[in-house]
Amino acid sequence: MAILELEAVEKSFPARGGPPTLAMDRLSLSVRDGEFLSILGPSGCGKSTLLQIAAGLMAPSAGQVRVAGRPVTGPPPEAVYVFQQYGRSLLPWRSVRDNVAFAVEHRPGMSRGRAREAADVQLASVGLTGFGDHFPWQLSGGMQQRVALARALAAEPKILLMDEPFSAVDALTRLDLHRLMLELWEKRGLTVVLVTHDVEEAVALSDRVALLTKRPSTIARVVETGLPRPRDAVEVRETARFLELRHELLDALLTRGGHAA
Amino acid sequence: MRPERLLGLLPGLGFLAVLLAALEWAVNEGLIRRALMPPPSAIWEVLSDLIASGEVLGPLLATLRLVFIGFAIGSALGIALGIAMGWWGAAYRLLEPLVELLRPIPKAALVPPLMLFLGIGDTMKITSVSLAVTFPVLVNTLQGVRGVDRVLLDSARTHGWGTARVLRLVVLPAALPFILAGMKTSLGLALIITVLSEMLTGQGGLGFLILDMQRSFLIRQMYAWLVILALVGLGLNAFFAWAEARALHWQNRS
Repeated sequence: MAILELEAVEKSFPARGGPPTLAMDRLSLSVRDGEFLSILGPSGCGKSTLLQIAAGLMAPSAGQVRVAGRPVTGPPPEAVYVFQQYGRSLLPWRSVRDNVAFAVEHRPGMSRGRAREAADVQLASVGLTGFGDHFPWQLSGGMQQRVALARALAAEPKILLMDEPFSAVDALTRLDLHRLMLELWEKRGLTVVLVTHDVEEAVALSDRVALLTKRPSTIARVVETGLPRPRDAVEVRETARFLELRHELLDALLTRGGHAA
Repeated sequence: MRPERLLGLLPGLGFLAVLLAALEWAVNEGLIRRALMPPPSAIWEVLSDLIASGEVLGPLLATLRLVFIGFAIGSALGIALGIAMGWWGAAYRLLEPLVELLRPIPKAALVPPLMLFLGIGDTMKITSVSLAVTFPVLVNTLQGVRGVDRVLLDSARTHGWGTARVLRLVVLPAALPFILAGMKTSLGLALIITVLSEMLTGQGGLGFLILDMQRSFLIRQMYAWLVILALVGLGLNAFFAWAEARALHWQNRS
């Protein structure tokens, strides 16, 4: 069953002194409930635009987006967007705990104390117990992204929309976050849509990988990884299937430049 | 205050002491006419009398009251208008020409016309001060609101925050460094307009006293009140710097 559907979505941006440029051309994609799907594409192909449209943060020029069967007109309560620029998405004047409480404190019947308790639970689940009183700028990049993740999880979303969330941290931290991500996904029955330009990341984490073309972007093809679950983010990289997929997807990105077949 | 900070103040304070001593000497030697500029020691005598007798309190509080009320009203107005104009394009297009027309007028020039409408009481003085305070706060708030990071706003939206909440808990704190910079400028203006309106209306406060003493040829008294006014300005700036540092503690990322 599809929890998120994009149907013939188009996006064009106004261009100075000319006709609007088409960034996305009749893109259709159906995300299954509970799957881990990565959207892979060359830089500047409009991956973030696609994700922002899915999150209801940006309106498409044409076409329709549905979450849980309902048309999206603004940010749907089922989905939370996790930004690539984690440092800029946290409120610098709030402690780590209050940044996570941000996700739930505005809900009816929620007291400040209960929101903070909920925040501490989520901080524990991303391995940040004891950091609640710190300020975001006192933490490393990887830890800041964990805070952003805890905040997203505190909202108890069905869908996590993640925009290159691990691209700005060092390689070791990235692997660490991959493990955490798989653990959280398995435990919570989340649907994850992850945008990335990192082929290995896409294959290691996903059930399916959707390959985007260059602008105007559309889905070139969708590949089932068929890798076993539960899986370990490091060990999976040593399997034959992983190497085969990596080769195939890198080839598609490099030699054909991601053009639609 | 830390010892190294005190040590850093020493050269400047020393230079000030040398200047005062030079002035004292120049007046005593007859290089400067005593009728126009009494020696600092004589001013100090009057000043310490004013303070010891408590005579300073009435005018001081009268002036501070006007500064604070006018500053509070003007700041609130500037922040509210600045947020509205920075957030809603319609509010900006409606108000921008009016703001641009009123903003460059030196607000001191508005005191005489305001006296026609509001008389010479507190209403007129507070209105003048508020007007002077509003514009720098407004312009800075507007700039601050426009500069709020898109990512921060989208984070609030994806978590289902409504506009009122976003304005109060995201936009206002994010724009606070700009708002406070505007308020700092305005605090100086508030004192200027207060003193000026006291002089023009000939009523109460430090501004009136300075003018009144000069007209009465009580030159030492005039300088003593001037020193008090200088100390008020110094105190207001120090208070504001302290409040600003507290409000922006999260900016101190060293």
